[in-house]
Amino acid sequence: MNFFAMAWRYLRFRWLVSLLTVAGISLGVALVCAVLSLRHESERALSREAGLYDLVAGGKGSPLQLVLASVYHLDSPTGNVPYADYERLRRDSRVLWAAPVGLGDNYSGYRIVGTEVQFFDLPDRNGEPFFRFREGKVFEDRFEVVLGSQVASSSGLGIGDNFFGTHGLVEVPGAEVHRDFPYRVSGILAPTGTAQDRAIFGTLESVWEIHETEDRLHSAIQGTALLEGRKKREATAILVRLKTPGLRLWMADEIRKETDGIAAIPINEILRFQRGIVGPVQRALLAVAAAVVAVSCLTVLVTLHQAAERRRRDIAILRSIGAVRAEVAALVFTEGLLLTGGGILVGLLLGHGGLALSVGPFRETTGLVLNPWQIPSSELIALGVMAGCGAIASLFPSISCYRRTPIEDLHLTE
Amino acid sequence: MIRLNEVFLRLGKAGHASSVEFDLPFFEAASGETIALTGPSGCGKSTLLNLVAGLRRPDRGEVIVDGADLAGMSTEQLDRHRGVHCGMVFQSFHLLAPFSAVENVAIGLRFGARKSLNAGQRASEVLRRVGLGDRLHARPAELSVGERQRVAIARAIAGDAPILLADEPTGSLDPDTGREIFSLLREVASENGRTLLMVTHDSELASELPINFDCSGLVRSARPSSEDREHSA
Repeated sequence: MNFFAMAWRYLRFRWLVSLLTVAGISLGVALVCAVLSLRHESERALSREAGLYDLVAGGKGSPLQLVLASVYHLDSPTGNVPYADYERLRRDSRVLWAAPVGLGDNYSGYRIVGTEVQFFDLPDRNGEPFFRFREGKVFEDRFEVVLGSQVASSSGLGIGDNFFGTHGLVEVPGAEVHRDFPYRVSGILAPTGTAQDRAIFGTLESVWEIHETEDRLHSAIQGTALLEGRKKREATAILVRLKTPGLRLWMADEIRKETDGIAAIPINEILRFQRGIVGPVQRALLAVAAAVVAVSCLTVLVTLHQAAERRRRDIAILRSIGAVRAEVAALVFTEGLLLTGGGILVGLLLGHGGLALSVGPFRETTGLVLNPWQIPSSELIALGVMAGCGAIASLFPSISCYRRTPIEDLHLTE
Repeated sequence: MIRLNEVFLRLGKAGHASSVEFDLPFFEAASGETIALTGPSGCGKSTLLNLVAGLRRPDRGEVIVDGADLAGMSTEQLDRHRGVHCGMVFQSFHLLAPFSAVENVAIGLRFGARKSLNAGQRASEVLRRVGLGDRLHARPAELSVGERQRVAIARAIAGDAPILLADEPTGSLDPDTGREIFSLLREVASENGRTLLMVTHDSELASELPINFDCSGLVRSARPSSEDREHSA
């Protein structure tokens, strides 16, 4: 029977206290793991998607809002830009790829994104096609659409199926359904692990036609003439990929100066968003988690101290049968390590298990796919610090045992 | 061989009312001798035993056990010396509750200087020797008091220590069981020529041992030392 086996037996002997201590540590560890892992994974997922586009041009407003609306399909768009701006950007020799985005309708809460065929030619950063078709093909007719993978799986729509779009970017009860303009599914995309999985891609012409007709109807009802300006071809945003990402700032500045709109650099906006808004929340959560871990370490200290106090007689017996004081101190220290190690292991599983359970809802909300079992380096460092704290907490009672003289404790009763 | 010479030890805080002094001019036990340490409660029997075990250090004097002077040893050296040279049996058995009989015996062979690779096998052997071959895996709580003391004796002899120190080993047992344990102790002591020092209040048992050492008068109330006197002045 070695130190570990003996320490384990003592922990089992007072199983309830041991269990509660491990539970206390594991809760703190789980919280730390979940927060750090969620931060790492959300950063990775958001940056991956933001990194696909060098620039987003759109109507005047908040650059972050523009990026969230046109890249992540989360916010309301800032306003429209002339289609001519897209044509000019497309012809620009510095542009590798550009696609317009027109928003306005949804189907069951999934946004219908008006765009053009070349949208699906977007290359990833390795030059490989980012979009792949799981079934069917790209739209050819004005009212044909391509479904993101998540839309297809949750709506049950298949190739050749028809549906109607609803006015607005989010699903609202009683919202106007465009029954005169049925869409037909021509293709379904393979999962990308991005917000595009939650979008329905149609032609920009379909968006124009539906909303032009709608405007005409409203004008007729109100007895006013349709303004010529509304007939102008517009897009909600223009997604741009440059041949050289180093030109981002220059091009963004150029767009701001030469058009009425703005240009945002998605990766910069997302990093600013994370550092400015998400970061403080995560730091607050981490502070709470650190406090929980600190309390847990104190629990280890108190538990081991009480256990050592209750076991003064046992420690004295071990000394009386020839154990040297370093050995009994090592035994108590080993118990602390087992409690801390157990707590960390259970906490790690709880934290990442919890994250695994949130993968579905997170994907449903944002379209982003998290890898819940990925352990980032920041988490490894945090686990190391927590193990260190547990070891220090275990050291105090073991030092106390080291210093005790057995003779008084031998007279204690069981 | 055990020899204590001009041993003085103050017990309790100096100057405190409960402070007592242990003063032993001379004590000797040759190898293989069986000695009963007798005398009234608080006379210093257990203190003498603890000095031999190295659980107490004298303030003055020599404590020679198997050729080594314990007075000059460090705590670690005392622990190791005790582990090799002394097997201890206590009135209240002092078994470790989470462990089975065989584990309680084997644990003594896992620590300090007596580390043994086949501790489990050796523990089983000695438990069979003390008549507990069928109780190897019982926990202390599952054993009778007599069986617990047998386990304690097995633990004391498992490391082949040449000295057995028994502090009122029959004190918690009924007369019949006490006599069984007493007989067992004598048997295991004589088998390997072990020296046995046994503290006992039982004059009948003590009279059966060849040597009785009366500890009466070894302990007296502490006299204020010259330092204490200077302090109070």
